[in-house]
Parts: sequence; C-alpha cells; structure tokens
Amino acid sequence: MVGNTKVGSDTICALATPPGVGGLAVVRVSGPKAFEMCDLFFQGGVRIPHAEGHTIHYGWWIIENQRVDSATASIFRAPHSYTGEDVVEIGCHGGVFVVEQITTSLLSSGVRLAQPGEFTRRAFINGKLDLTQAEAVADLIHAESRVGAQTAARQLSGGFTARLANLRQGLLDVIGLLELELDFSEEDVEFVDRTTLLRTLSEIISDIDATAATAHSAEVLRAGFHVAVVGYPNVGKSSLFNALLQRDRAIVSDVPGTTRDYLSEVIFLDGYSIHLVDTAGLRSTEDQVELQGIALTTSLIEQSDLIMVVNDASLGRDHSVSLLMDLKGRFTDIPTVTIQNKIDLIPGYDANLDTDDIVCSAQTGKGLDGLRGYLLEAVRVSTSGVSDVLINARQAHLLRSAAESLRSARSGVEGGLTGDLLAVDIRSAIRLLGDIAGESWNPDVLESVFSRFCIGK
Amino acid sequence: MFHVKQSKPTTFDILVVGGGHAGIEASIVAARMGMRVGLVSMDFATVGRLSCNPSIGGSAKGHLAKEIDALGGVMPRIADASGLQFKMLNTSKGPAVWSPRSQNDKDLYPLYAQNAVLSTNNLTVINETVTEIVVERDRVTGVRTLSNEEISAKAVILCSGTFLNAVMWTGTDSTNGGRVGERPAEKISDLLTNHGLTRGRLKTGTPPRIAKGSIDFTKLEPLSGDEVPAPFSMHTRRVRNRLACFASRTNDATHDLLRIGFTRSPMFTGLITGAGPRYCPSIEDKIFRFSDKSSHVIVLEPEGMSTDTVYVNGFSTSLPQDIQDAGIRTIPGLKDASILRYGYAVEYDFFFPYQLTFGLQTKAIQGLFFAGQINGTSGYEEAAAQGLIAGINAALFLRDEGSFTLQRSEAYIGVMIDDLVNKNTEEPYRIFTSLAEYRLLLRIDTVYDRLMPHGRRLGLIDDGVFNRFERQSLLRDQLETDVRTSKITPEIANPYLASLSEDPIPETTTLFSLVKRPTVRISPLLNLAGRTSASIRHEHPAALHAAETQMKYEGYIQKLYRDVERYTEQEHMMIPTAFEYSRVQSLSTEGREKLQRIRPASLGQASRIPGVSASDVSILALYLR
Repeated sequence: MVGNTKVGSDTICALATPPGVGGLAVVRVSGPKAFEMCDLFFQGGVRIPHAEGHTIHYGWWIIENQRVDSATASIFRAPHSYTGEDVVEIGCHGGVFVVEQITTSLLSSGVRLAQPGEFTRRAFINGKLDLTQAEAVADLIHAESRVGAQTAARQLSGGFTARLANLRQGLLDVIGLLELELDFSEEDVEFVDRTTLLRTLSEIISDIDATAATAHSAEVLRAGFHVAVVGYPNVGKSSLFNALLQRDRAIVSDVPGTTRDYLSEVIFLDGYSIHLVDTAGLRSTEDQVELQGIALTTSLIEQSDLIMVVNDASLGRDHSVSLLMDLKGRFTDIPTVTIQNKIDLIPGYDANLDTDDIVCSAQTGKGLDGLRGYLLEAVRVSTSGVSDVLINARQAHLLRSAAESLRSARSGVEGGLTGDLLAVDIRSAIRLLGDIAGESWNPDVLESVFSRFCIGK
Repeated sequence: MFHVKQSKPTTFDILVVGGGHAGIEASIVAARMGMRVGLVSMDFATVGRLSCNPSIGGSAKGHLAKEIDALGGVMPRIADASGLQFKMLNTSKGPAVWSPRSQNDKDLYPLYAQNAVLSTNNLTVINETVTEIVVERDRVTGVRTLSNEEISAKAVILCSGTFLNAVMWTGTDSTNGGRVGERPAEKISDLLTNHGLTRGRLKTGTPPRIAKGSIDFTKLEPLSGDEVPAPFSMHTRRVRNRLACFASRTNDATHDLLRIGFTRSPMFTGLITGAGPRYCPSIEDKIFRFSDKSSHVIVLEPEGMSTDTVYVNGFSTSLPQDIQDAGIRTIPGLKDASILRYGYAVEYDFFFPYQLTFGLQTKAIQGLFFAGQINGTSGYEEAAAQGLIAGINAALFLRDEGSFTLQRSEAYIGVMIDDLVNKNTEEPYRIFTSLAEYRLLLRIDTVYDRLMPHGRRLGLIDDGVFNRFERQSLLRDQLETDVRTSKITPEIANPYLASLSEDPIPETTTLFSLVKRPTVRISPLLNLAGRTSASIRHEHPAALHAAETQMKYEGYIQKLYRDVERYTEQEHMMIPTAFEYSRVQSLSTEGREKLQRIRPASLGQASRIPGVSASDVSILALYLR
C-alpha cells in the first residue's frame, strides 16, 4: 500500500473564531479521531462517540480532574460536516487562556494543529466543495468588505460554477456541430453555417470578457481599495489621516499573521474598506522630491487604486503641481486627485471655487465629508463590474486565455480556415473553462449530436 | 488454388482463434516476429471475408488503415490489390480529416488475405472449431477443438468476431450464427465468464444485397473515384479505378411502407436487447428517430467485378423480408430490384475491454489476448489494428520483452486502445477523428514519420520500403527548406497572387511568408521561384502535400505539441497497481468505482476515465506526491 496516509488520516484542530478577547470562541476538531479525542476531555449528558450527528451538548472541559470551562460540543458525523469528516465544534468562553488550555489538551493527545486553510482543503478533497467554491471560502476569509463577503458567499453556493457550465455548454454545442462536419463524409452532413458560427463565438467571447473584466473589481472587494497618499513634507498628511481615522478607523486585530504596515491605515466607509497608504519615499526626502530610485514608494503607488496628492493650500493652490504632473506621467493608469488642505489658514477661501480638487481642513474638519463622499464614489465606480461572482487572478487568467483562443477561432472563421483548425482553438477554450471549475476535460462531443442529427449511412 | 497445410503440429507458441481481419493481422505479425503460430478457423475459405460493406477506409478508418501499413500490417496491401475504386474523402475540409477509402472486390479480398496467410513462414492454418480455451492456474495453455483434441500454446489471441453466442435476426425469425451460413461459438463465452471476465451484449446489422441486373442505372447518380487514385500502402506502386458507385434516396413512400413492418421488427418489439451503433443506425431507426426527415441517402456499391451482388449502403435493416422487398422497390432506380440476400441484425457477446492491458492481454488470464469485435468494436480497420497490436504484444510477452503501446498523441490506434481500456463501451466502438485530442498531429501525411520507425524496430518493415520512406522524408524536408529559404520578387509573385485575389507584396520576400495565406500553394510558388524541378513536384505529390501542410499549419501544430508536453507530466505520474482506492474516502463515489475497476496505470490515464472528475484527479495527485 502506498501513500494513502497523507490526507485526512490524522485529526486536526484549530480555533475557528477570530483570536483575541471576545465573548465566545469555537475550537474545531476534524478527523477520524475527533470524537474519541474530545471524549477524553468533554463531560456532558452523552458520551461524544455515542452522540448523534447534528446535535449540541452542554458540559465541561476537564483536564486532569480540573474543570477548565463550561463548554458546548456540536457533533457532525461524516460525511455531513463542513470537512466531510467527523467534526466536533467546541464552544467555550473566549479568552486566550481557556482556548489555549483546550487546544493544548487536544494536541497533547495526538491531535495536530491545523495548517491555514486545512479545513477547507479537506472539504475540497472530500468532495464537499468544488474548486470555485473552495476558492470562494478563501476569498470569504480574506474579504475586506461587506460586498466582497456577500459575493463570495453567493459563489460558495455554486453560482459561478453554474455560469461556467453555461458558457462551456455553449461551446460544446458549437464544437459538436464542427466535429459532425469533420467526422462524416460530404454526402452525409451539411457544413456548419459560418455566419451563425461567428455570431455564436462572438456572444460567448463577450460573455467571457465581461466575466474576466470583473477581476479588478473583485480584487478591490477582496483586498480593499488602496489609496496612495502623497505630498511634500508638512502639507498635513498626518493630520488628514488622523481626522479620517478618528471617526472611521477599522478595527484591526493585533494577532500576528494579519499583515499590517505601519504606513497604512484602514477606514470603513459604508461597508467598503479603504486602505490609506502613506508613502515612505516622499517623507524621507527634504526639499527635492526624488521619486526615482525609491522602489518601495513606486511599488506602493503602483498597487493603489487612487493617488491622493495632498497640497498645502496656504502655500498656493499650485504648490504641488509639479509633483502631480510627475505622478500622472509615471502612473498613467491610476486616477489622481488633489486635496487642497489647510484652507483654515486662508481667510475668506472660497470653498466653492470652480475646481475638481477636494477642498478641506484637517484641522477644523471642514470639507472632510466631501472627501469621504469622493472616496466612496471612487470605490463604487471601481467595483461596479461585479454582479454575482468574485473571480480571482487564476480564474481571470484562465478566462482570458479561453477568450483569446476563441478570438483566434473567430479570426480563423473570417479567414476561411478549415474546421480541423478551428476545432483546435475551440477545444482549447473548452478545456480552459473546464479547468476553472475542475471538471473533466474530455467530454463526449458527439454525444449531444447523435440525438439531434441523423448521421451515418 | 491454395492448399491448407496438412502437417498439423499440436503445440504452438501462439494460437490465433478466428480468421477475420483481427486474426489475419495477429497471426501474420506474430509469425513474422519469429513465433510458431497456428491460425484456427472454422473454415479457411471464409478467412478475410468482407462480411458487411465491400469497402476499406473512410473517415478516420482510412487513418487506421494507413497506420496499419506504417507498422507493417497487411490489410492496406490487400485493399490495394483487391481495390475497385479509390477516393480521398474530405478534401474540402482540411488536412487533418483527409481520409482514404476504397471499394473492394468481395471475392478477391479474401483470396489475397488467404494468400498472405499461406505465404507467411512459421504460420500454420488449422481448420477446426474451437470449443474451449484451456486455462491452468490463471494462465492459458491452449485450446480444445470440436473433435475434442487439445492444441497447446503459450499464448492465445481470441478474435472471434460476432460469433460468441451469436443470434441473427430478420423480422421475428432468428437463427443461431455469427454470419449467414456459419455456426456460432457457444461454450467459450461461458467459460471466460467463469474465469471472472465480465461480458455484455451488442448488436450490429447489415443491409440487403440486390442483383445488379435488376437496377435501373439511368435513374441514379454515379459516384466516381479520384482522378489520380492513390493506394493505401507504401508497398503498392499503383492502383486503378475499375467501377463507380451510385447514389439514390429514400422518400415518403419508402418510409410509410417500412413503418408497416415496425410491429414485426426485432428491435422495436424488444427481441434484440443488445445496443447498436448510433453512428450507423438501421433504416428503421433513422425513420423512427428522425421522423421529420423525409429522405435518406442510399449508396449502391457493387461488390465485385465477377459478382452480381450490390450492397445497399444506408439501408441496414432487420425488418421482415416482405417489408424489405416492398420498401426497397419505392427507391428511384430500384423499382424492379430483386434482393439476393436480406438484411439482418446480429446480436453477440463481447467482453468489456477495461479488463485488458494496453497490450490487449486479459488481466484475468495470463497469455490470453483479445482483438476485434470481442472487445466491443465494430469495423474491419478497428479489428485489424487491434489484431496487429495483440499479435505484436503476444510475441513480446513470450520473449519477455515488455509491451508495445502507442500514445494518444502518436496514433489513432493509441486513441482507440486507450478509449477501449478506459471507457465503458455502451455501443459498438468505431473510430472517429473527434476522439483524438491531437487530431491535427495524426494526419495521414505524417503517418509514416509517426509509426514506421516503430515498425522497423519491431522487424516488420523490410529494407526496400524503409528506404522508400526515408527518401520521401528527405524529399519533404528538402522542399520545406527550399520554401523557407528561397526569395521571390514582387514582379514574379504578384501576378500569381492577383490570380488568387490575394494582396500583392511590396518587396522581395521569402516563399515561406506567402505560404501562410490560405489560398497560396507551394507548387506554383516553387515553380515561379525556379526551385525544385517540375518532375519532382509531379512525381511526389505526397511529399509536396506533407511539406505544404506542415508549413501552412505550423502555428497550430506547435500549439498542440506544447499541449502534448504539458500533459506528459500526468502521463508519467504512475499509480501503483495495488493502490487502494477504497481508502481514499475523498474520491467521488463514481470516480472511485471507475478507478477501482479500470485501475489506471498513470494519472493521465485516470484523467481520461469518464466519471473521474478533475477534482478526483487532483486528489490522487496529492496522494501520489
């Protein structure tokens, strides 16, 4: 016997709720010995191995005759659980101490600490989730916004898989007809009408393109909207940061593993998370702005969705124009906006002056609502492409490759290429779409055809 | 004219049971590989019969025939020698589906086949009916015959065609037998089942044959062969067209008449339970399933130069005789047709081919090989190709030299055997070009490059033919180099381009840059550029065609080669034979069941089994790493 020991043969556990101080915490235990192991410590009305699936039991977690905490045990019997294995979810009082006691007791009895994503991996391997659903779980965990979370949840229910299946079926119908043309002699079948073929291909291409185009929006929903805040020293960036954060600061966990950069802060506006990123390079230089050669700054700006140039309006409205022009020239794809700050220092400054700039004072709070409104609108525009699916980079890449194959097929039809060549491209697109959802790649293309056409002499 | 050898040894290296298209290739190839072979047939006179249509090749089947030639098989040579008409099909459809087909003389074909058998050294013909396969401790030791004689052998290749528990049907009348006038084989099937092999039941049919003299040819459209007919085999120098076929159509009156007989059809009344081929439906099936179609094509194919019988292609039926008579006479040109032999359906046992290795040896009984219809296939070419592979592998098995397997990216034979082993046959299996994911690589103009080196290595290609192949390859390469390196000026090229309504060229360019244009051909280009003599271009159309195809479709061909490479990794990820799928709970139920039954050798093979999803494959990959 070779190799049947690696996946799902051992029992794993991990804290399933966010770590830190909270009211309640859940420790999830999954694997063939989940019941047996929890039974060592949990004492309730029923012994866990005898409990029925989908029942919940109240009792005590007891280590060496010491009651650690009162707890609940939720029982899920394989395959009717998230991972498809036997699962116990232990509900206990939140707090580092209790959770650590429970986890440590399990680990000392041979349960292994789950690796990140391991529950989901087991769920995928046990056929509880297909590939797009498994990816949706990962997205859900990492979703930075409410909309992102909702979309990932929809995808988890299989919506994306269904849409892919539709696209793929459309292509299978096309290829079926082409194969028919190729496999039977001239007397038996008519050629596929090339005009119809072109139209069908074009429709499918635009469907795929539209889905792939939501990739950027999806990324914003997943990872948040990133705003690079740049400006000369002392233009009031920090006070602007603080003014925005005072009201909208996102609660960020202090547990290691949540990546945080001391230069970046997160605010929540209407359910969207917006990352404000201070740019290091500009801060460290004195008078001369030297964007060139400061790699970190460049890469921070490159990854942002908006560049916000903060200007000290008291030094003149055009004080930062050369900086703005430099940025516009170097990051042509990223929109920019100028913030005219410190207007409180200019007596009689006309806030209604005809300008696209945002006019505000971090000091007095004047105009900050306008800035919030502007940011929210910018996020909405950038996520407008998302409807019901949230696709990730891998899926977007496969979709784009599929569309590229179909474009090649389309120009082949226009150039009068024969069916055997067109089939190469269309088959490749079908295979790519199948790869996204993890379907079998070798469909019986003639299957549908036999029921619809009379062929063979 | 021929004599069956009378000296009859009772012990052989290999016994081949059945002298159909599979048995012929299997016995000849094994004997040529140095084995002492016995070919056991009920009646040597029936060896090599064309029991259905008098034709070899056709879509994808023509590819198989060429592949058999490249590996040293005999079918293509016999088809050339007995050919009456030669045609390249699908020339309007692109090089991947060009496929040769011949009409053949049904009297001459078996004679040439029998001659090929009799002229092979180490090969003994035995006129006997095999009643039993003798197995000792899961290893085959020979066969027992009707006269209760045991002939021993180290390997047995069973090529029994439709004869296992065969029943023939015309209307509600049934006769036990695999072919008109021939007895069925009854005990073998049960015996194999007792050894743990699983069988199924299939059905196939054949149309009526009518008298040539009763046809009014003035009402029919003649279908001629190619102007320059090309042979199947590299052994054959030249072939000729000797006759034409004729087309007609059924009409409403035909369909109405045939419908009357539906109540007496063995198919519709449930007397036949075996599954028939969807791609070759009987006429009653076509009328029943496609009732909106008021007409179906009928092709009349003369069965030979010295016979009066004509094969009615498109009219396969098992309806009662009176209905066949009345129905056929409603077809234009057949008003007075007289049927010489009525159409019938035949139902027979086959053994699910997932029980075989890629060398076509049964996994249950060592030394026992299956080839042809016993594996659920239909068609002469499919049978012959399997016979060849089984014969080669039986010889290698006895020499303890492993096995000979062709990849899907290498040959239609590879596609077919891989499909047989992996897929569940629910209807008789026929080869199609769409079954090949690398169809564009498996063109007939690449067949010798793909396979002749294998044939040569196995000792099946003689010097003369191999030299011819090498000369052809050299010539093709030379033509390619000429096109890639020669230049042409606008003055010379533009009039030619204008004649094709192609855009003119502004400056001197290589011929190669023009070849990619769909309507441009390399022969006129080489001529205009003054490269390659006209006689070479005329005398070697195959080399010219091969060079042109290779260059015109280079982009697509490269794309497929990259695919082959990408999936090679999976092909090389081996699964241990004892792998316990039952312990991988994560597999889908259907996937696990299929994997357990088929026991794929590699992850690549696993991925091609229907019911095994890509998720199952990823899971297996995780286990195997």
